[in-house]
Amino acid sequence: MTNTLIDGLKERVSNAITINQSVGVILPGNNYSDLIQALFEHIKSNHEDVWVYVTITRPYETIVKQFGDICCGGNIKFIDCISRAAGLSKVDTNCIFIESPAHLEKIIMEIMGVFKDMGDKVQKYLLIDSLSSLLIYNDAQLVTEFFTHLINITRLKDIHSAAIAIEEEMNDNINKMIYLRSDKIIKLRESFI
Amino acid sequence: MSDGIVISEEKTTEENVVCKTGIDELDLQLDGGIPVGNTVLVVGSSGSGKTTMCMQFLANGARQGERGVFFTITEPLFKLTKNMQGFNFYDKKLIESGMINLIDLRIISERLGLDTEKYTVEDASALLEVLKDIADELNVKRLVIDSITALCYRLQTKEMIRDFIFKLGSSLAAMNCTTFLTSEVPPNEVKYSQYDIEEFIADGIIFLGDVDRSGDLIRTLQLIKMRGTTHSRIKSAMSISSKNGIELTPLLKSRA
Repeated sequence: MTNTLIDGLKERVSNAITINQSVGVILPGNNYSDLIQALFEHIKSNHEDVWVYVTITRPYETIVKQFGDICCGGNIKFIDCISRAAGLSKVDTNCIFIESPAHLEKIIMEIMGVFKDMGDKVQKYLLIDSLSSLLIYNDAQLVTEFFTHLINITRLKDIHSAAIAIEEEMNDNINKMIYLRSDKIIKLRESFI
Repeated sequence: MSDGIVISEEKTTEENVVCKTGIDELDLQLDGGIPVGNTVLVVGSSGSGKTTMCMQFLANGARQGERGVFFTITEPLFKLTKNMQGFNFYDKKLIESGMINLIDLRIISERLGLDTEKYTVEDASALLEVLKDIADELNVKRLVIDSITALCYRLQTKEMIRDFIFKLGSSLAAMNCTTFLTSEVPPNEVKYSQYDIEEFIADGIIFLGDVDRSGDLIRTLQLIKMRGTTHSRIKSAMSISSKNGIELTPLLKSRA
């Protein structure tokens, strides 16, 4: 994708997540990398905001390799839900490694723990990458409950959230849930933004 | 007396009757904390987090100026302290300053000239007296016995166990300190004690268990009973980490 298109994507997502409390981003797998790049650029250019990036799609180390410095600003903390399940046992001060993506409650506890450490004076953002990947490890009912619970807590704590869902991984339940629970849905198409 | 003063007095009384565990979510579920003087059975299988919960309870109390004592009969003191060193709530200074006292009941038994593996009725009574004396002398507000199961194991008959348990219950009630008794049960069994009697002297029961999710074990905590307070009975997911010790969040209800 050209820089112009990534910039357009960045602007669209930036505006949506600033205005709305919870944003759902539904996209085809082909657009995934561009979206992540756009998000990292947004995060880097808004360094006064703090972000928690929960990855269930790619290991933290892969994200760092792929996006380099752009994803390692001081205003972003990662929660990696898949590396330890894959047998990697790295320690990194910028990332919390969860034992299993099936331990959804632990994910919630770690998210809230990181935000608690960040204090009250900053604007807080949460990114779930991706909700649909959780379906690989959990049944749809559980993912629905997890997402509902997470949205309720983040709203109570005044945390903005963005949940990515990859079309190819989605089922009807998740589709309905993301539409129902999000304040704004951004649906991306392969051919245009 | 003005309304303001009345409210202030009530608040002071309220603060005094509740013993905060220091585990925020648990205190919330307990409507503020455990009523002071309650004896609470902390039930769970091996590795469920009973000892960690008890130590966190004592450490949080010590930080609020409440002296505590931990009687162990299951593991040596050096092993207990070694296991606790990884937790942020643990501070060696709390032990050095005498705010937390760790006592190995096997050593006490040896000093009393008792058979450490098998107690007679007299042995059990003597041990109980020593427990009481230590708690009184140290003026403790929080007391832990880890574990009541291992203590009862040393008694030879069911009658002796029953007698010991009731005497222990009476002694603890007279001490007015909040007590945690750990109780070991087999995994995956909804059972609160090994001898089916320990729960009857307890004012409260905290059950630590597991749920299986896709082959992974998720730790759980559930308040079964707590006399003197309206409390939650929801099943919570529990996490044990070096940074925060025990943390709770509502358990997601899988239908799988």
